[in-house]
Amino acid sequence: MAGALNPSYFVVLSAALFTIGIYGALSKKNAIAVLISIELMLGAVNINLVAFNKYFTPEAFSGQIFAIFVITVAAVEVGLGLALIIALCRRRNTTALDDLDWLKW
Amino acid sequence: MIEFALNYAWLVPLLPVLSFLTIVFLTRPWARLSSAVAIGAMLGSFLLASSLAWGVFTNPAFIEEPLHYSLRWLGMEGFTVNAGILIDPASAMMLFMVSLVALLVQIYSTGYMKGDPHYSLFFAYLSLFAASMLGLVISSNLLQMFIFWELVGLCSYLLIGFYTYKVSAREAAKKAFITTRIGDFGMLLGILFLQIQFNTLDLLELAAVIPNFAQLGVSLGLLTLIAILFFLGPVAKSGQFPLHVWLPDAMEGPTPVSALIHAATMVVAGVYLVGRMLFLFVEVPGSLTVVAFIGAFTALFAATIAVTQREIKRILAYSTVSQLGYMMLALGVGSLSASLFHLWTHAFFKALMFLAAGSVLHALHNKADVWEMGGLIRKMPITGWTFVVGGLAIAGIPPFAGFWSKDEILLVTWEYARHGHALGYLFFAFAALTAFLTAFYIWRLIFLVFFGPEKANDHVHESPLSMTLPLLVLAVLSGVAGLIGTPWTNLWSTWIHFGDAHSGEPAYLLMLLSVVLALAGIGLAFILYCKDQDKQAARSLAKKYPALYNLSYRKYYIDEAYTWFTRKIVDGGAKVIYLFDIYLVDGVVNGLAALTKGSGQGLKYLQTGKLQTYALIFFLAVLVLTVAFNLDSANALAHLGGVK
Amino acid sequence: MNIDFSLLITEISLAILGLTVFTLGLILPAKSSQKGLGTFSLCGLLVILALTIASWGNQGETLGGMYLADYFTSFFKILSLTALILVILGSKNYVNSQIENHLEYYSTLIFATLGMIIMFSAGDFITLYLGLELMTISFIVLTSFRRTNGKSLEAGMKYLLLAGLSSAVLLYGLSLVYGAAGTVFIKEIAGNIAQGYFNPLLIVGLAMLIAGFGFKISAAPFHMWAPDVYEGAPTPVTAFLAVGSKAASFAVLIRVFLGAFLEMQEQWTMLIAFLAALSMLIGNLTAFAQTNIKRMLAFSSIAQAGYILVGLVAANEAGIKGVMFYSFIYVFATIGAFTVVSEVYNKTGSDDIADYAGLSQRAPLAAVVLLISMLSMAGIPPLAGFTGKYYLFITVVQDYLWLVYLGLILSMVSVYYYLRVVLVMFRDEPADPAPLKLGSTASLTLWLTLAATLFLGIYPWPLAKLANTVAIAFLAGL
Repeated sequence: MAGALNPSYFVVLSAALFTIGIYGALSKKNAIAVLISIELMLGAVNINLVAFNKYFTPEAFSGQIFAIFVITVAAVEVGLGLALIIALCRRRNTTALDDLDWLKW
Repeated sequence: MIEFALNYAWLVPLLPVLSFLTIVFLTRPWARLSSAVAIGAMLGSFLLASSLAWGVFTNPAFIEEPLHYSLRWLGMEGFTVNAGILIDPASAMMLFMVSLVALLVQIYSTGYMKGDPHYSLFFAYLSLFAASMLGLVISSNLLQMFIFWELVGLCSYLLIGFYTYKVSAREAAKKAFITTRIGDFGMLLGILFLQIQFNTLDLLELAAVIPNFAQLGVSLGLLTLIAILFFLGPVAKSGQFPLHVWLPDAMEGPTPVSALIHAATMVVAGVYLVGRMLFLFVEVPGSLTVVAFIGAFTALFAATIAVTQREIKRILAYSTVSQLGYMMLALGVGSLSASLFHLWTHAFFKALMFLAAGSVLHALHNKADVWEMGGLIRKMPITGWTFVVGGLAIAGIPPFAGFWSKDEILLVTWEYARHGHALGYLFFAFAALTAFLTAFYIWRLIFLVFFGPEKANDHVHESPLSMTLPLLVLAVLSGVAGLIGTPWTNLWSTWIHFGDAHSGEPAYLLMLLSVVLALAGIGLAFILYCKDQDKQAARSLAKKYPALYNLSYRKYYIDEAYTWFTRKIVDGGAKVIYLFDIYLVDGVVNGLAALTKGSGQGLKYLQTGKLQTYALIFFLAVLVLTVAFNLDSANALAHLGGVK
Repeated sequence: MNIDFSLLITEISLAILGLTVFTLGLILPAKSSQKGLGTFSLCGLLVILALTIASWGNQGETLGGMYLADYFTSFFKILSLTALILVILGSKNYVNSQIENHLEYYSTLIFATLGMIIMFSAGDFITLYLGLELMTISFIVLTSFRRTNGKSLEAGMKYLLLAGLSSAVLLYGLSLVYGAAGTVFIKEIAGNIAQGYFNPLLIVGLAMLIAGFGFKISAAPFHMWAPDVYEGAPTPVTAFLAVGSKAASFAVLIRVFLGAFLEMQEQWTMLIAFLAALSMLIGNLTAFAQTNIKRMLAFSSIAQAGYILVGLVAANEAGIKGVMFYSFIYVFATIGAFTVVSEVYNKTGSDDIADYAGLSQRAPLAAVVLLISMLSMAGIPPLAGFTGKYYLFITVVQDYLWLVYLGLILSMVSVYYYLRVVLVMFRDEPADPAPLKLGSTASLTLWLTLAATLFLGIYPWPLAKLANTVAIAFLAGL
């Protein structure tokens, strides 16, 4: 089974995805882009959960169930985030994170 | 009722607390209602206290085995403090006395304070004071007692400075607070030492362990230090030399306050406390001699000052200091019963005289100089005659209360001297001389104020019933309160004693001596101040010995000396320290402060307000944490023998 | 599966109350009737609090071990409900004048509390995560509640994104721990670790868990969000965020780290000690430079998180007791202080410390409560904060003496910035000497917090004993 997948591949994939998410969250100037980056990080988490479920505890489904909950909650977060962005856009006419600097020091 | 009172003794101090809270939070706008609440609660306390006292005194078992219950209050490993209640004959007597005097003073105050804008507040403070004092009396634990001790000090401060518009009142309040703090600090140190050395602050437990101090590895020197430190608290609170200076000034407060706090109750707390801790002092023989010496000296010293004072309340204040000296003296020669007996009788006749003086001041609109009064007994018969009863009591004329207790003190001092204490003769001489002076100065006051020609005081009239009723009650008590401790039927010393119950043989010679001294004092006062209408002799005496007169009138220049000391020595020393301070200490301190502030200012700018900076710091922290954790764990794993 | 509903009584009734308030608000359209919602929620919460206290000692686990009920959860349930009741009681004035949508405000507060309770009652990571997100999302909504206020929105946005990032990290950590230990159940993880499931994934996962929870308790260096969010959020929400969210996160931190990772204690205590020290330092020092009282209290709350973490460093019975005791007294001091802040804002429209000049003349009660609350936070005896700090620091005297010294020094430093506010209140003359009338419910809240702070300082024994019992039972049940 030389070419068969083993769990470390998934760990590496999810770590990469997670890091890309971090990079996006730190570098993007737009609030929506940062929100999407967070989704990427959650995706990385899901890969981890499902892969570990498959390899380590195939008889239980806790990892998969966890992943479904994560997806659901992520959707809630995005919904709330978009609502906030719209409100901000109306009130302060911007979606750029660097403009959010009324609260400092 | 007795059963109930014994089981619910904590209600005695709690009721005034409740009335304090009620007045402050609910009834403050309604003056009459507030005083009714206060008096009602006090009456409840008094009834409880008296049935409790009855229960304790009729059951001899309490003498051997005090009623004691407590609950855990503070605790951590190896250190627990219980708060509780300790009822023995001494505390039962105090409960009864304090609640009775407080009740009478509150009734009196309804007349005296009538129309005052802060009438309700006054009653609230009185209630708080009564609560704290009752709490102090029944505390089973020194720390608990210390808290109440501070609380009564606080109330005293509030009440001395009650007339906040008077600068002198504010100053006097401050002086009282600071002077007593000096003593309290020493006392707190003493308490801490006790806790450290004996690991308990419970009075009964301390009484059990202190006699075995040598086995517990406590040296006599340390115990002496503890006793002396501890004694500082009572010295300040009970106005003993040299920390007595605050007490005469405390008369700036309303007169009912002087009667309650600065004559009958708070100032005797020191005596009571020393009495409670007598088991500590008897272990250190030297410390008892110190107590006796300070007591005897204060008694004589204050009496000589009282002889020349002109303000009516000041005379009484110095008289209080002097009588407290008597009580300390009795403790110092080892007689708890004599001391507390004098405390008991003194509470009644001194409260009586203060309240009567208040009645006079009330009538004369606060004209306080005794030389400007005269013949008041015709205008104010009740006030006058009750004051005369008080005067007879304090001078020691049988069968009035003061005679028995003073005689008891003279007796125990005499016996102390005869048991091989050479200093005892000196103490006795001091005490006897004080007895003479006491009779003299109090009757000087009486003759000047109540007898002789009337001065031009047109509108003088007797005070209302609310004020004269307490006077009458106290006058009766001043007459009979001593009868429970006559040498023939000495009930008192079978109730309250330290060690073996001691009841000396009646010493007729001593009784005769004390009566003669008292009569001599009264007689001299009569000759100088009553018979001699123009007071020529008295004036010429003062002229003839101006140095002596001034020394006494100026109170031995103690206040001046203290002021000089603070001005010159303290300020001078302070200057040196100041230079040291600004150049060295300030440099360091300011440097540190600047560093702190500066770092605050600097750190502030980390908070840029930029969301992604925050995120960056967050992720960096995660990274550092992960790496640190891995390194740390790798070490740990290597230690365990590798990754599994 | 057998579900023991009696264990879920608090949670179920809270959910019903939240939904009822929401529905009632929709049915009753008139503005005036909306004001009654606060009273309604209060009554409901009091009943639930009584139920929770009555079911004290009702222990067990349900839903196949995913949900736990023991003394520990009861203690924190009572704490959260008390905090919520005090916040609602104290904020009535503020809500009436500053917030338009009452029904959402009250129901979201209730759901946030439900989230907290689910979070620290969780027996496995999935439930824990759901509770945590319910709480966080409710708080995001609450933070940005004043939709017309730019600062409030900005705070909400910052909280949303940073909380999202932190929960992504937390989740990643959870997934790694799941992978390493092969289970999501806290108890089983402890067992598996004891059997030697020990690998680098676990270590990385643990570090990420510390980061995720550290964010929630606003421990440095994960604290950056707190000052901005505290400042921008409506003041009652800030109070609840500082008290409820923090206490619940501490509870879950204890549950996870002592429940699952006690075996690896040696590895993580040092890191926690480091976080505690850093929080105390940054919190106390930065608080010096603040001119806005909410911001100052935010930094002070970061410092407080540092103090509480000390109890976790000890990781024993006394430490847990300290954390519980301190969390409870912190409720009163913080809500007392923030209630004053919200009342003052309500009247003056300002949170600047300078505008507190002469508050002692304008509203003596408010000034006294702020004074007592802040002195309690600074740990001045005989106030509750002193006893609390004592219980916390005494636990680490032996192993982490430097931490004790640091805590003591910084406590003293903290007195300075608290006293600055006190001086302004008591010494300075007010710009506008008109009395500042407090709302009746706000006054009640102030009296309650004042009484609690004084009482627990003077007579801490009952609460300390209770905390002790709970801590012993908690460790015995592991």
